Amino acid sequence: MGELNRRALGRALSRAADAGVAEALHTVIHAPEDPIRRIALTGAPGSGKSTLAGALARERLAAEATRRIGVLAIDPTSRYSGGAVLGDRIRMDGDDDQSRLFIRSLASRHTAEGLADNLGALIALLAAYGFDEALIETVGVGQIDCAVRELVDTVVLVINPESGDVVQAMKAGVMETADLYVVNKADLPGADRAVAALNGRGGAPRTPGWEPPVLTASMDDAASVRRLSEALDAHQAWRSEAVDQHETRRRRRAYMLLALLQRQVQRRAETLGPTTDPAALLESLAADFRSFADLVRDQGETRDHG
Amino acid sequence: MSAAASKLAGKRILIAKPGLDGHDIGAKVVALALRDAGAEVIYTGLRKAPDYIARVAVDEDVDAVGLSILSGSHVALVEETVRHLKAMDAADIPLFLGGTIAKEDHATLRAAGVVDIFTSDMAIEEVVDRLAERLDALQESRA
Ligand SMILES: Nc1nc2c(ncn2[C@@H]2O[C@H](COP(=O)(O)OP(=O)(O)OP(=O)(O)O)[C@@H](O)[C@H]2O)c(=O)[nH]1
Ligand SMILES: [Mg+2]
Repeated sequence: MGELNRRALGRALSRAADAGVAEALHTVIHAPEDPIRRIALTGAPGSGKSTLAGALARERLAAEATRRIGVLAIDPTSRYSGGAVLGDRIRMDGDDDQSRLFIRSLASRHTAEGLADNLGALIALLAAYGFDEALIETVGVGQIDCAVRELVDTVVLVINPESGDVVQAMKAGVMETADLYVVNKADLPGADRAVAALNGRGGAPRTPGWEPPVLTASMDDAASVRRLSEALDAHQAWRSEAVDQHETRRRRRAYMLLALLQRQVQRRAETLGPTTDPAALLESLAADFRSFADLVRDQGETRDHG
Repeated sequence: MSAAASKLAGKRILIAKPGLDGHDIGAKVVALALRDAGAEVIYTGLRKAPDYIARVAVDEDVDAVGLSILSGSHVALVEETVRHLKAMDAADIPLFLGGTIAKEDHATLRAAGVVDIFTSDMAIEEVVDRLAERLDALQESRA
């Protein structure tokens, strides 16, 4: 791969992020297969996801001399103003050589569950620009954020070193979605107890054949970041043997389609307002979905005829 | 979302602090005001080099960069930032300036490529309004 054209990638990411439902549907339906590795860091607000993502990206760049990593870091859109302060980058960026690292801050916009609009398409763009890995930081959500599971290979749950956070995570149902647990800020008191709570969590593993390891990490301990990076490699290696790639792709596409359809429902409901006649809402939705169906069929025909 | 709240809807703005001064209360106040006007705001943190700021502006594909400078070295820092933006094929990203900026430097700064200058004595609402107007005008002139 030649030198990265940051300007072109930056602009392409904006276009893909801004794409409306119809355009995004087109992208999803025609998305080529891509081999990019997809890793997500999720966990409670302030658990240290951004700091860890920055350290992890550098560790993984150092481990492979030609590796390129794209980071997509999501922060929440304010429901009141529609604006956002995107604060992840400030914790992960540095003045070091960035020729193989690209960080993009995203606002969640219309998408719930800790993700951002058209996230799947943004990952695909990173692949098209020659990136080997996409590192996703979800919004710091306390509640269930299983959606990211549908878009990535490896989900890392980043946990504060208070066992209260572990209990919270167990209740919320995020525990079962993670492939790796990291008790972060292990330099602070409480980390041992959090690790013990995680190890004693019981229950069957979500994926038969993979027992999610429990690790610790701390920013003043480079070896801890290396261990996490190696555990990621181990999970990726296990997946490439044990998980059906075609099935994964089908599920991802299905998830992206569903997310777009949900967005359309939400958008219509918002534009028409809460006092709209339900029949009117259903009529406009029916028209929307009919036009999507036409779009998909027309594109199928164009493809079939050359 | 009220009409007033969405003046900067759909805009991505980088607030950057080049140079050596160690105060960013002003920059943070502006960042929050822009968010409240509907913008997606990225803040660099203190003491960033012009080449770093230009790279972040490009990677984030922002619609505007606001430099906050209190140190007095604004002319050199602006010229450096413009140079790096040009080198990254991003001379079209408009540059705004805020902070303590002596009147006699304004003409030089505008000649160097600064679209507008917001001094510390301006009310925050005025900053938001003027920025929104400038960006709308730029968008129209390019359409
Ligand atoms: N003691 C200690 N503090 C840390 C460590 N890593 C991060 N922090 C601190 O934890 C706070 C939050 O860090 P972030 O990286 O912004 O956390 P985050 O999970 O990305 O936060 P959100 O994106 O807002 O949910 C900051 O004050 C960091 O300095 C660590 O290893 N040890
Ligand atoms: Mg963060």
